[in-house]
Amino acid sequence: MSKTILKMDHITKFIFDAYGKPIRGTDVKILEDVHFDVCESEVHILIGENGAGKSTLMKILGGIIPQDEGTVELFGKEVHFTNPKQAEEMGVGFIHQELNLCPNLSVAENLFLGREITGKGNVFSKKKQMCDESRQMLMRLGFDIDPNVLVRNLSTAQQQIVEIVKAISCDSKIIIMDEPTASLTQTEIDHLFDIIRSMKKQGISIIYISHRFEELKEIGDRLTVLRDGCYVGTIDMADFSHDKVISMMVGRTLGQMYTCTHTPQKEEVLRVEGLKIGPHTEPLNLHVNKGEVVGIGGLVGAGRTEVAKSVFGARKFYGGKIIYKGEEITKPTPKSMIQKGLMYLTEDRKIEGLVLRMNIEQNITLASLSEMFKNGYIRRNEEEKASDEMIKNLNIVCTSGEQLANTLSGGNQQKVALAKWLNSKPMLLILDEPTRGIDVNAKSEIYQIIDDLAKQGVAILMISSELPELIGMSDRIYVMRRGTISAELTDREEFKQETILSHTI
Amino acid sequence: MGKEQNNSDNKKKQALKTYIKRNGSVVIFIIICIIAALFVPRFASANNLLLIVKQSAIPIIACIGMTMVLMTGGIDLSLGYTIGLCSTIVGMLVKTHEMAYIPAILITLGVGSVIGLINGFCVQSIKVPAFITTLGTGYIIYGIAEIVSHGESVNRLPKGFLAIGKTELLGLNTTVLISAIICIVFYYILHKSTFGRNLSAFGLSEPASRLSGVATARINVTVYVVSSVLAALVGILLSIDVNCAQPTMGGGGYTFEIITGAVLGGVSLFGGIGSVIGAMFGVMTIKVIGNCINLMNAAYYLYDAIMGIIILAAIIFENVKNRKL
Amino acid sequence: MKISKKTILIAGAVILFLIVGSRIPNYLTVKNIFNVIRQSSIVSLVAYGMTMVIIVKGIDLSVGGIIASCAMISGLMMKSGVSIWLAIGTGLLAGALMGLFNGIMVEKLEVPAFITTLVVGQVASGIALMLNGGGSLGGFPKEYVFIGNGTILGMPISNYITFIFCIVSALIMGRTRLGTYIYALGGNDMVVKQQGISTAKINYFVFAFSGFCAAVAGILLSAQMNTVHPTQGGNYQLDAVAACVIGGVNMAGGEGKVYLSLVGALLIGFLRNGLNLYGLHPFYQNLVIGVIIIVIVAVSIYNRNKKIEAAKVF
Repeated sequence: MSKTILKMDHITKFIFDAYGKPIRGTDVKILEDVHFDVCESEVHILIGENGAGKSTLMKILGGIIPQDEGTVELFGKEVHFTNPKQAEEMGVGFIHQELNLCPNLSVAENLFLGREITGKGNVFSKKKQMCDESRQMLMRLGFDIDPNVLVRNLSTAQQQIVEIVKAISCDSKIIIMDEPTASLTQTEIDHLFDIIRSMKKQGISIIYISHRFEELKEIGDRLTVLRDGCYVGTIDMADFSHDKVISMMVGRTLGQMYTCTHTPQKEEVLRVEGLKIGPHTEPLNLHVNKGEVVGIGGLVGAGRTEVAKSVFGARKFYGGKIIYKGEEITKPTPKSMIQKGLMYLTEDRKIEGLVLRMNIEQNITLASLSEMFKNGYIRRNEEEKASDEMIKNLNIVCTSGEQLANTLSGGNQQKVALAKWLNSKPMLLILDEPTRGIDVNAKSEIYQIIDDLAKQGVAILMISSELPELIGMSDRIYVMRRGTISAELTDREEFKQETILSHTI
Repeated sequence: MGKEQNNSDNKKKQALKTYIKRNGSVVIFIIICIIAALFVPRFASANNLLLIVKQSAIPIIACIGMTMVLMTGGIDLSLGYTIGLCSTIVGMLVKTHEMAYIPAILITLGVGSVIGLINGFCVQSIKVPAFITTLGTGYIIYGIAEIVSHGESVNRLPKGFLAIGKTELLGLNTTVLISAIICIVFYYILHKSTFGRNLSAFGLSEPASRLSGVATARINVTVYVVSSVLAALVGILLSIDVNCAQPTMGGGGYTFEIITGAVLGGVSLFGGIGSVIGAMFGVMTIKVIGNCINLMNAAYYLYDAIMGIIILAAIIFENVKNRKL
Repeated sequence: MKISKKTILIAGAVILFLIVGSRIPNYLTVKNIFNVIRQSSIVSLVAYGMTMVIIVKGIDLSVGGIIASCAMISGLMMKSGVSIWLAIGTGLLAGALMGLFNGIMVEKLEVPAFITTLVVGQVASGIALMLNGGGSLGGFPKEYVFIGNGTILGMPISNYITFIFCIVSALIMGRTRLGTYIYALGGNDMVVKQQGISTAKINYFVFAFSGFCAAVAGILLSAQMNTVHPTQGGNYQLDAVAACVIGGVNMAGGEGKVYLSLVGALLIGFLRNGLNLYGLHPFYQNLVIGVIIIVIVAVSIYNRNKKIEAAKVF
């Protein structure tokens, strides 16, 4: 085996906000005691469910966020990156999932951004020289892209190639690729693999994050599995088997957190027929009954949120029928759907779920304000009564209803968002990742609430990336893949993490 | 025992702090009034204070509209020009065309609402940034006003028309009373009705309020209509006040003064926060300062620079305050 | 795509030119053309800075105030006997400093650019009023007036200044690393930060440059008129924004060329001049320009939204 060039040991990271700063008052760990190493000229695959901590680990390696505990050792030296530039200088290139180029600049300008070749006095750039060098760099890797073309006018695959060339041209020894094939066609993927192989020959190592099993075997040398922020194990690709990796990815124990005491009723609340969430996606069908908890599984980006938002009227869709309580809804809007009792708890509570700079009380009554409006003004005391009741029932930890929503912890914020809908008396509640990023206690409380609602006859459609949660709570599960439903599991006996996972990838 | 004492002291301090934070405009107004009373001769007379109230009455109406637009995170730079156009229109209708007063006023307010609808449509439906839309429409409106009036002003308006704003009632003229009624109506709308709460939610977070069933598109258009209709009313009242109707009434400088008033009144330029009380005291603060410049016999041309520096200070202050939170 | 936009712009300009030109006497003469360029010089100069500001997703509404106040500063200095070059230098410095202040407010306090610049513009025009007690100033030294009204080789000096500044700005944007960073900041600020480039410095430069351009415009205007009036700034900010928008600068940032903004400014100049010669009252001109701005911005935003919609994949 060739020599190890990167070692990450005992990496621990607490949950953090958008700026990488730890969030006060929680001790949720995204990564806990994770190990990871990379050898010279290998393709090391990193795999795990959504939220397993792959991206966080790579962000630490790329210098985008710092780790809270643990060490990173690069080429035998311990390193502490405080910004991405430092990581880049040490030979770590990061090809992000989202575009990380300036679309309005040319290929050459992007390749040389921040390290332009300048003439005398360090003022004027030598455009022609940069262009020539860019062309050579592209040619060396076998690409015929004109360096003068604006990045905006390239195809997604070509843009990715530019990113790769940029990473290599910075003398990167390790290149992180985060789901590089997500938006590529098969020929483009083949081409990408050719590049990866030729990079390997040049002694460059690649950390490859992907969910597409069929690719992994073709390109990988070793594979590391993360689960729930923990290191599970590393195997050689010679030992790779589909079942083995899936069993490593799941293996999570189903705790006693889930309460599932409700029984679904026969009456149908929602039926969706032939819904197309994108112009080129396959149509999908689904239905939800009264008092039933229906789960939707699948990877992030499979179109789960889009289904929910289409039904809720918060986005445009491309055909299909929505039948709610026997009535066909032709033009849904959030306002009209809420009035009809269909509500949607968003996955992004900070931006879409709560008005963070309003207080708890105002957030809880936001969707049911017209009920508080009697005899010509908003009844403050009724508002207070309603919110106090919700605070008590949902056990929201706060000083009073006057507290601003942005001062609450994640779990309590989620309860406030949920309280907003409960206060509006839902018939069908769509929950999008209801327990993401909140601590264990709040999680089990939310499960209890979901079960109670179902018992009262509320239909629940729950989108979740956490398989145990789906299995523990649902009466039926739909699994989504690439914009449509790939499987429906109706038998609780069938609910196995392996089964669900195999339909997602 | 000592701790409890401390606690209640803290609570009082906290309560005072929240009060100041919520009603900063009132506090600023009072402080400036006290300073003025101490250092500016003839400031603290009943007549002078009455004058300030009278001077503030009309701009307060415009400021309420601007406050609502700013609460959505937008801005209405066409406001001053709308005033000019509406002044011209009402003047020409009642003088040149000898129209009855009520229809003339209704037509003028109608013109205002059409302007508001156009602004609102561009901002909401075509997503043109508010400052571009209203900068553009502002120039269009000014052009129309000049074309309609041929650049001339209408002087000596009919007596009956002037009476609408100049009749003395209870020691105040009707203009002040109209302004007071508008303040009360909009106080109710902004602070007691669902519309006000939804407007605030929309300004603070568009996605969250839209997904909570708030009719965000309707609110966004409504605020521009309200702003323009109130501007039309201001155009009418200003014409009555100076007994002259002309396209240069209002204008860019007036818009700026109104924005200054709104900012002094505690409107957040990032949207969501604003109040009618704030608009009232914001405008009155400006008028007190203008009044002091007058009383001290300082030159009128100081006014613009001082106004600019005040709003600059207010913006920096608000920003620093938000940083700390 | 890119080429066709340019072609349309230039073709449109030529067609407008010929149609209007053929119908109006004295329109298509060298003298009138030079004259229009001279009249457009103020808007053009302001538009260069404005182009850069809009490229970094800002806007500069302070230019009107800066035009008046910087000219007033220079004028007062000259009147008090300071040499004209020192006076002009001070005026230009004042403009750059006011612009820099805009940049600091936008970068450090994160106040939206349109608010900051609106307010700074107001302070600047207040200063213009205050400095000379609200009155205007006139009767400048001969050399100064010559800058505004003289000709060299038959072309007005104003036109030379317009073209020289166009070349300088275009060089900055097209040939220096700073120019690349300005475009990059407008295109994807995350990338710029990741490359360890200081976004603050870029913003400071762009706003200061815009203030500087406005100061040049203000001084040139006062030289052309041989007077400084405190409200001279007037319409120029709208015309400059219009020039940029007509020249294809994207209001959402990242796109735009200085020389195309010059074309935009000249188009406005020829439009105003044509409307004048055609006998249309100046009142109509503002109206037309207001409509043009809104329509062009609306169309470009509509197109962009359509593109975003089309780019979504699963």
